[in-house]
Amino acid sequence: MLTRSFIGLSLLGGLIAGCNPTPSSSGDFQPLSTDQVVFWDRQTTETAQLLQRITDEFNDSQEGLPVRIETTGNYGEIYRKVMASIQARQLPAMAVSYESMTAQYAASGAVVPLDGFVSAASGGLSPEELADFFPAVLESNYYSDYDGQLLSFPFSKSVLMLYANHRVLRAAGIEAPPKTWEEFLQQCRTIREKTGKPAYAISVDCSTISGMIFSMGGELVVDGVFQYDQPAARQAFGLLETLMEEELAYQIQARTFDDEVAFARDDVAFTIRTSAGSANMAVAMGGKNDDWSMNPLPQQNLDRPATILFGPNITIFKTGAEQERVAWAFTRHFTSVPVMTEWALATGYLPIRKSVANDPRMQAYWDAWPSNKVPYECLAFAKTEPNLRGWQEIRSLVEKAESAVLAGLKSAEAATTELQVEAQATLARAQQ
Amino acid sequence: MSLWVGFSDGLDRVLAWADGHLVGRSGRPEGGRRAALCLLAPALLLLGVFGVAPIVSTVLLSLFDLRYGNGAFAGLGNYQEALQSSAFWNSVRVTAWYLVGVVPTTIGLGFVVAWGLMHVTQGRTLFRTLYFLPYITSAYAAALVWRALLNPQGGLANGLLEWIGLPTQQWLLEPRGLLHVVTGGAVAADVGPSLALCCVMAFDIWHGLGFTVVILLAGLSAIPQELEDAARIDGAGVLQVIRHVTLPLLTPTLYFLLLIGTISGFQAFNSFYALTQSGGNTLGTTENLVIYLFANFYDNGRWGYGAAIATLLLVAIIALALVQARFARRWVHYS
Amino acid sequence: MKRALAYMVLTLGALLVIYPFIWMVGTAFKTLPESMGGSLNPLPQAWQWGNLSATLQAAPFGRYFFNSMLVGITVGLCVVLTSLLAGYAFARFSFRGRGVLFGLVLATMMVPFEITFIPNFVVITRLGWYNSYAALIVPWCANAFGIFLVRQAFLSLPEAYYDAAVLDGCGPLRFLRHIGASMVKPTLVTVFLFAFLGSYNALLWPLVVTSDPSMGVVQVGLASFVLDSGVRLNLLMCASAFVIVPSILLFLVTQRYFATGALGSGLKE
Repeated sequence: MLTRSFIGLSLLGGLIAGCNPTPSSSGDFQPLSTDQVVFWDRQTTETAQLLQRITDEFNDSQEGLPVRIETTGNYGEIYRKVMASIQARQLPAMAVSYESMTAQYAASGAVVPLDGFVSAASGGLSPEELADFFPAVLESNYYSDYDGQLLSFPFSKSVLMLYANHRVLRAAGIEAPPKTWEEFLQQCRTIREKTGKPAYAISVDCSTISGMIFSMGGELVVDGVFQYDQPAARQAFGLLETLMEEELAYQIQARTFDDEVAFARDDVAFTIRTSAGSANMAVAMGGKNDDWSMNPLPQQNLDRPATILFGPNITIFKTGAEQERVAWAFTRHFTSVPVMTEWALATGYLPIRKSVANDPRMQAYWDAWPSNKVPYECLAFAKTEPNLRGWQEIRSLVEKAESAVLAGLKSAEAATTELQVEAQATLARAQQ
Repeated sequence: MSLWVGFSDGLDRVLAWADGHLVGRSGRPEGGRRAALCLLAPALLLLGVFGVAPIVSTVLLSLFDLRYGNGAFAGLGNYQEALQSSAFWNSVRVTAWYLVGVVPTTIGLGFVVAWGLMHVTQGRTLFRTLYFLPYITSAYAAALVWRALLNPQGGLANGLLEWIGLPTQQWLLEPRGLLHVVTGGAVAADVGPSLALCCVMAFDIWHGLGFTVVILLAGLSAIPQELEDAARIDGAGVLQVIRHVTLPLLTPTLYFLLLIGTISGFQAFNSFYALTQSGGNTLGTTENLVIYLFANFYDNGRWGYGAAIATLLLVAIIALALVQARFARRWVHYS
Repeated sequence: MKRALAYMVLTLGALLVIYPFIWMVGTAFKTLPESMGGSLNPLPQAWQWGNLSATLQAAPFGRYFFNSMLVGITVGLCVVLTSLLAGYAFARFSFRGRGVLFGLVLATMMVPFEITFIPNFVVITRLGWYNSYAALIVPWCANAFGIFLVRQAFLSLPEAYYDAAVLDGCGPLRFLRHIGASMVKPTLVTVFLFAFLGSYNALLWPLVVTSDPSMGVVQVGLASFVLDSGVRLNLLMCASAFVIVPSILLFLVTQRYFATGALGSGLKE
């Protein structure tokens, strides 16, 4: 009797907990809190304090439910939590997310399309206001897998940068950081020759590879077909291969900031990272702004530059009309010109609206140190990664291919050929 | 104080009443099924909801082809896919290398340390604490240190190699086999565990040693000293005493450690996760079964497939535990 | 001679084992450039005691410590209680299905914890426990390892004690309270320590079931600290070293019980 009831209880629990395998895609989710609008975010320290202040101001200015920020770990952790919460059918009102994450959430029917909010007569955005956003910042939030709906809204953005250590460059007799990839390779060779040091510390990262491919004149996906076997991708992987073969670069441990450490220690001249890391880099460099700079990613063709946009968007979840309304009002407030200006000045994130540039404080910030303005200038030609279902999974394939080339176990040619096949197969499976 | 006395008295009365009612007055209480039920209830309720129910739902999930909660019944399709997937078999190999490398080494080193501790008079407490220190540290915090020590640039490990005059290594970033690296390339790069995997194994041996030592110490101190003394009087050397007296009497403890080590070895996750993140940077050579299922389940959203891997893992653990139990009859001596 | 050899081996081994801790503590009190310097000397040139307050200011570690200790101790006590009752029942009562039931209990030890996440998370939210101490505590209040250890301890007690107590008219529950519990005390202390460590060192579960900063635990604090501090290795190591202190203290307090054969003698079939 005892045993049977125990097994019965467990079976029952398993069935209840056990994830009703086919959740109805209609029907709302429970909000995490009924008297607050919860926002899952990943900002910490000073940036988090500023976000909290902006939120407090917003809460004071409106009648509805107050917004509450909850810091929820890094993007991987937020992603896992949201997926688990979708299963539990209880969600925060909104969360920061990359496009690939939003695409997966949307598959479960949890995401609120924002088109209606944007076009609404009151509380929406006029065409002029929409045009004030940089196109690249906005366009990746329209998802072709979901009839081109606007499923997320830009939050804090940055672009891929070439960080250059001028102490090392000077030691190698180099005047200015490279503008083209050809110059980049040449400078790496000079640095190795003159100083005996490797020039570049590589952090394995799919988005960095994507940015390199863009800047070499390539695309990632065209009409549902990956471009990893095309010349630009071959060239990007080929450059990494050459850098490793000639001992001009080395790989750092995954998900660490060892490249910034090496950079600050004058062990390397270059790292390629997003502009969001500039605050940390400034700390590591001990505030000596003359000794380093942020530069546009080297290019293949300087007349048609391209780089990659980083940074999360806000996704609003189906948690009931009032929660959704406040969540949108908050999003709109956060991306308004005055708040955006304050945010950009304090955090080093990009102002994603053009009119922010008119603010005298912004001008003063840019004048203070030339590198401050470079990310903003790159915004005009920044592109984004695909927002297709399945991209999340393909990202790890790209990083595997990169690691194989860096370890010298595969040629760039072989790695890209295999990557093309695998990525295509994964995409096909994810799109079913 | 009087509150406690009152409470204690009250508790006694309740227990006496329960004893009377649950067990009856029929002498030995072996028939007390109701008593057993009451005693087991809290544990069974918790384990049922949070331990057995997830197993049930995992097995159920594994029969569906789910991506992010959407999908259809797939029968044994997920299992079929796993058994045909090279990535799955790769993770099986990684798990196997890990078990072979970690479990016997930890027990062996643990025995050396525990035996040494039995034969010192001063500082036993200090030594035991030092050896136990890694075990009480969270894998996460400890991995931060190890990553710094194994950092190919400026880490201690390469510093030592340079000092000795040997070529430096990539450690946690090295997908090539240990044998390949040690022999200078005479063995193919994909033979045996990768150097990165060996680093993870070394970390877990270090991390788990203290636990093994403490348990072996308990086992050793239960062996009557007279037996060893008697053997020594008969002229047996140190190694002979260990071989013929100590080890046979220690077999129950060794068996326990083997079983626990195998189970936790199959489930190793924290060290892999904290040291190598996803395993992608080492080309899958540090992707064990749990990391593989974690990536599929959470990162790729393949709930059904991930659940199928978990079920296979569960079956493998239980099977190996049963096999060990069967063989244990041959070599474990209960006094 | 044999003793000298033992000391040598033990000292050498101990140095190897604790080197990472020396490095951790040393780095914790280095200046930032020195900590990044890749020097082989683990100890700082000048001890930067200010790093300690800088670390404590960087995150609400006080609150995290309180939460971790509260959760860890409660889990430990609950596990001791459930294990004592269940282990005793498995060892001393015979009833139909005992073997199957015990097998099921052991099976819960063999599920990889990572896969229980989503089902357990669903249960927690259905109960309305998201962001609460209950979510951090209740799922871990019973574990198979504890039940196993207590059962073994009771099996290894001579039956005579038990028979004598019953003859004196002492029922099984009062026997457990007055005689049994104190006879397996070393095992209970061991069970407490392991349960505490498991809870205190857990990272993934607290990360999933809480997001309110007032519910943060030290391991989560440490993880988020890694995220921000980026290159500030010295503060990171300072936080790591700080987080271990309670575990060390607990081990020092409880360790004499291990020596009494809490585990070794009870491992019988």
